[in-house]
Amino acid sequence: MSRTRTHTRTHTRTRGRTRTGIRPSRPARAGQSLALLAYLVFLAFPFLWLISTAFKPPRELASLHPTWIPKDPTLANFRQAFDEQPLLRAAVNSVLVALSAALVAVLVATPMAYVMARHRSLLSRAATGWVVISQAFPFVLLIIPLFLILKNLHLINSLPGLTLVYVVWSLPFALWMLVGYVRAVPRELEEAAAVDGAGKLRTLVSVTAPLLAPGLVATALFAFITAWNEFFFALVLMKTPERQTLPVVLTHFLGAEGVADLGPLAAAAFLATLPSLVIFALIQRRLTGGILAGAVKS
Amino acid sequence: MRRVRAWAAVAAAVALLLTGCSSGKTVDDGKVTLEFQSLAWQKESVDANKQLVKEWNAAHPDIQVKYVQGSWDSVHDQLLTSFEGGEAPDVIHDASDDLADFAYGGYLADLRDLLPARLKSGIPQRSWETTTFGDGVYGVPFLQEPRVLVANAKILRAAGVRIPTPAKPWSWEEFRSVTKKLSGGGRFGVAWPLKEPVSATLNLSLSAGGRMFHRGADGKVTVRFDAADAVVPRTVHDQAGPDGSASGATLGMSGSDTLPGFFAGKYAMVPLGFSYRQQIVQQAPKGFEWQVLPAPAGRDGLAQGVSPQTLSVAQDSPHKKEAAQFIDFLLRPRNMVRLALGDWMLPTGTQALKDPALRTTKNDWATGTALAGGLRSAPAQSVRGYPEWKDKVATPALQEYYSGSIGLGELRKRLVRDGNLVLARYQR
Amino acid sequence: MTLATATKRPVKRVSEPPGRGRLVDHGAWFLVLPALIPILVLSVGPLLYGIALSFTDAQAGRTAPTRWVGALNFQDLLHDTLFWESFRIGLLWAVGVTVPQFLLALGLALLLNQNLRFRWLARALAIIPWAMPEVVVGIMWRLVYHPDAGILNETLRDLGLGDGRDWLTGLATALPAVIVVGVWAGMPQTTVALLAGLQNTPPELHEAAALDGAGAWGRFRAVTWPALKPVALAITALNFIWNFNAFALVYVLTNGGPGGRTRLPMLFAYEEAFRYGQFGYAAAMGCGMVAVISVILAFHLVGRLKGGDEQ
Repeated sequence: MSRTRTHTRTHTRTRGRTRTGIRPSRPARAGQSLALLAYLVFLAFPFLWLISTAFKPPRELASLHPTWIPKDPTLANFRQAFDEQPLLRAAVNSVLVALSAALVAVLVATPMAYVMARHRSLLSRAATGWVVISQAFPFVLLIIPLFLILKNLHLINSLPGLTLVYVVWSLPFALWMLVGYVRAVPRELEEAAAVDGAGKLRTLVSVTAPLLAPGLVATALFAFITAWNEFFFALVLMKTPERQTLPVVLTHFLGAEGVADLGPLAAAAFLATLPSLVIFALIQRRLTGGILAGAVKS
Repeated sequence: MRRVRAWAAVAAAVALLLTGCSSGKTVDDGKVTLEFQSLAWQKESVDANKQLVKEWNAAHPDIQVKYVQGSWDSVHDQLLTSFEGGEAPDVIHDASDDLADFAYGGYLADLRDLLPARLKSGIPQRSWETTTFGDGVYGVPFLQEPRVLVANAKILRAAGVRIPTPAKPWSWEEFRSVTKKLSGGGRFGVAWPLKEPVSATLNLSLSAGGRMFHRGADGKVTVRFDAADAVVPRTVHDQAGPDGSASGATLGMSGSDTLPGFFAGKYAMVPLGFSYRQQIVQQAPKGFEWQVLPAPAGRDGLAQGVSPQTLSVAQDSPHKKEAAQFIDFLLRPRNMVRLALGDWMLPTGTQALKDPALRTTKNDWATGTALAGGLRSAPAQSVRGYPEWKDKVATPALQEYYSGSIGLGELRKRLVRDGNLVLARYQR
Repeated sequence: MTLATATKRPVKRVSEPPGRGRLVDHGAWFLVLPALIPILVLSVGPLLYGIALSFTDAQAGRTAPTRWVGALNFQDLLHDTLFWESFRIGLLWAVGVTVPQFLLALGLALLLNQNLRFRWLARALAIIPWAMPEVVVGIMWRLVYHPDAGILNETLRDLGLGDGRDWLTGLATALPAVIVVGVWAGMPQTTVALLAGLQNTPPELHEAAALDGAGAWGRFRAVTWPALKPVALAITALNFIWNFNAFALVYVLTNGGPGGRTRLPMLFAYEEAFRYGQFGYAAAMGCGMVAVISVILAFHLVGRLKGGDEQ
């Protein structure tokens, strides 16, 4: 059991073994392990296949009997992927847009979340309602008018335009998370600051924000991934290849009729996943623990 | 004090974001900059395009051309939203069957007064017809490819079938019996890659005299499905169905998806665009023998519908004259040959087509060149609403017919009845 | 998109300060505006604009001016059999993904809640589909499903289960194949949400039930499920909505083919707007989708309230 190295350790200790105090019988445990193994296979095999494909030379890809391990592994696909499409440019665009969107989203959402958490007013309730309802919008109803509005603001095919859209798009989630975090900050601290004569913004910046820091980081990372992975708005709004984000450029590898070039396609797809995987690894603990503070009282 | 500072920080951050990553259009300083969006995707072809742009830029310091890489798979959506958003490139590479909606929508410039006489007379009238919509000409057709049969030479030789030539092609009947003869033992005589069944069917149907789209006296277009229209669909249907001489599995595939099976000897022949030779040369295992055969002929001989690749100028472009000059440069006979070789396709220009490089027997260039005379405007492409008819009505109907889940009667009903409903929405 | 929306409800209501009647507390405006303006301009505004558009004949192209056409778009929509076919596929897809997604995720969550070997690995792997851009998920499964170079057919051939098929292009297999991908892609969120719910059940109850002689199933029904139910309802509702609005997966996997068998309503409306340029008509489709989702959501909420009464 190499469990000791993982960050889920604390959960494991307290929850898994001792939690229920009920130990299933041996065959039952074997069955459970088997079931878990089946899940593992189901979850992992497509990704492994992607990696395998990324390292195969063209002739091996065209063979009728593909193998799990490339017989003749090559990095040529990666080179070709960078040659064929403006991959690097797209990655830069994606980073730029996702980073700006994450920062701006946290920047504008924090004060609003603060108000929503601390003051019960009509606006707070309207905002909460919007947060819920916005989850049910079909984007298509949104995208047509959005397209026409952004066109009039000359923000079509512009990275700032896309950034703005992503900010708004990640706001519901950011607000929802931040409201929870703000509520967790003891009100007394702020009241003390208010007694000292500090204004609202000042209280927020100097008293509340530092306590919120972990929550702000988690929210920002999540907003980053949301923007990094997003496809639909980018597809409609970004027209020039040199301003398109990674997911859109990736679809160009699929090509027109019969043009799919599997090797470079897999290589590029693999590379595009890495940043999200790394970030997810970083915040995984928060995903299963911290973020769910409202539901899981841990 | 602190409040002010915090606000300033926020404002600065936002301002930075808004200005920092916007690049905007190039500033005018007497120099003209044209954007040329090319859809070239094979390495040789991209290189040829980029090289030509470089040569132009060296010779024309005042009219600089910027190469922009587009992509075939999404070009229609991309252009539509670009036009609508005012972000379209100046010189646009596309295919003639994709232009109708743009031409009628007022997005493309009428080229009749922009192009020099040399270019106009260098391309035959039947090619110009592919880009004529209403009274205007909205693109220059420059590259095209016939659909051919790419065959596994060893299998054909072993079976002892007559090898067709452009002078003596197979008839559709003969083709059907040959594929039957080539089938058996886990092998199929033919693999139809019909992921995009509509253009393939309509274009090949021209040989049998099929037209499907008929313009009435009032100028309105309706769909009909006559006996001549049924020849090609029925052949494919019978091969995949009762004859068992065509693989059912490839009906939904794209051309390159069928290549592994073709190389493995699973299929004796694959109907493909002429340019697929490039992929075959690249991917075929050593010692694999292949050859190009003309597609079967019908009542109208080797006639075949084709939608050439085109170059157009955006109506919104402030530099239409310069854009036309650049197109003229790209399509000089010598340059047209370079583009054709890069894409493994045939040039439309009569002068370019005479080039010896396109007449060699190496990689069967000569076979394709001999077919160029039969290529004409695909019947449907000037019809408004054709794209929607194709995607929503004809593609599913043909796919279901070919896979055997509906019969010819149902196919006719859908193509005609549902089809005319869609067309009516565009012709109100 | 997110899971926290599903599982996280506001922590206990602390006594709120006064200020109920006013729209917003005096002095709080400047805190709210930076978020409020973008929301109004780029979310609420477009929504209203979109509804208005559905009553016009707005089209791409500069040759025809936009006019009000009343309910003509909706009339056309009623007779558009292709759209309703797409709608039916959309519902099939949404249910076909949401239900297995929930069941599989529940199973995984229950397993992860046990102290099993390799649990750490499962937890790490379960996150992968979530972290991946949807486009990459689509590309990856295309490689898996590829008729010749794909691992699925090769495995079937190795196991002697026939010659394999062309999963994504076969008329009969395309939708099921795409649904599997949908289930795969959405499982992590659901699992994590359910796991959080599970860890929230009081362990004493389990022990008490065990002492009463309840079997595993009995304990699940008596203890686990009641505690899990709110989370389960919330996450399935959201999953259903998200799945119904899915776009990128099918766009990459099949682009609506073969023969429109996987053309989900989102894709249909996208094509109507940005391929054929029929903005007004596409907006009407969007309105239709909102209407249906609202009805389903309303039913769901009613069901949820009722469920709450029973407890």
